[in-house]
Amino acid sequence: MTDQPRETHERWVLGTELTWAFGVGVLVAATISIIVFTALTLNINPPSNVERIDPKTLHLSGEFSEQNLGTLVAADGTVTARIIATQFAFVPHCIALPRGRPVTLRLASPDVIHGILITGTNVNTMVVPGYVAQVHTEFTKSGELLMPCHEYCGLGHSEMWATVQVLSAAEFKPDSDGRVSCARR
Amino acid sequence: MPVDQPRPAHNPLEESHIDEVALSTVLRTVPLGAAVLAGSAVALVVLGYLAIYLFVFLPRGIVG
Repeated sequence: MTDQPRETHERWVLGTELTWAFGVGVLVAATISIIVFTALTLNINPPSNVERIDPKTLHLSGEFSEQNLGTLVAADGTVTARIIATQFAFVPHCIALPRGRPVTLRLASPDVIHGILITGTNVNTMVVPGYVAQVHTEFTKSGELLMPCHEYCGLGHSEMWATVQVLSAAEFKPDSDGRVSCARR
Repeated sequence: MPVDQPRPAHNPLEESHIDEVALSTVLRTVPLGAAVLAGSAVALVVLGYLAIYLFVFLPRGIVG
């Protein structure tokens, strides 16, 4: 090959590689833009909450004592469900939540690392002892959804699951204390 | 003529005449094919990502 065609060819190869690198750059930028756009406009973010709690005493007093567990509708209408994830059960075992309203799930563990997901939704978080896991979401469909532990936590891990009962506005009736329990079906 | 006489090794490179112009043409075409193949593969992955994002992830609702 003479020098002239080789130089032309190498320039052409360099051009191809630069074009490809530009295309990859555009794809990476588009993917990051989609993530940022979704976060800003649709409020879809990875759940992130850094809040410490003492796992040795969380059941004795305060937010995660027994009488505070389950779903509570505050005076301003905000819905919060407090759940303890422990070997090998969720307390309470059934969580009643409304459809079409923003809800907050707050979870804590007194023993080992657990994790939750709610089937058919984007709810998915770890529950690490020493921290409060918090997820904001809004359910779009009524029905019973499975909430299994998705982080291996011991021999009974496969038996560790709860039910999320998503109720319509007519069915979601808080009592005088603002508490809502699962409807019997 | 003996049947089992060893024959000299066949070396195709010795016999073929490599035309510089033809070689240059091939070297132009091969990277183009690689680019088309890689582009198609990346396009399929991107389409799969967009399909899962639009038809699975977004309908599952907000979370944060």
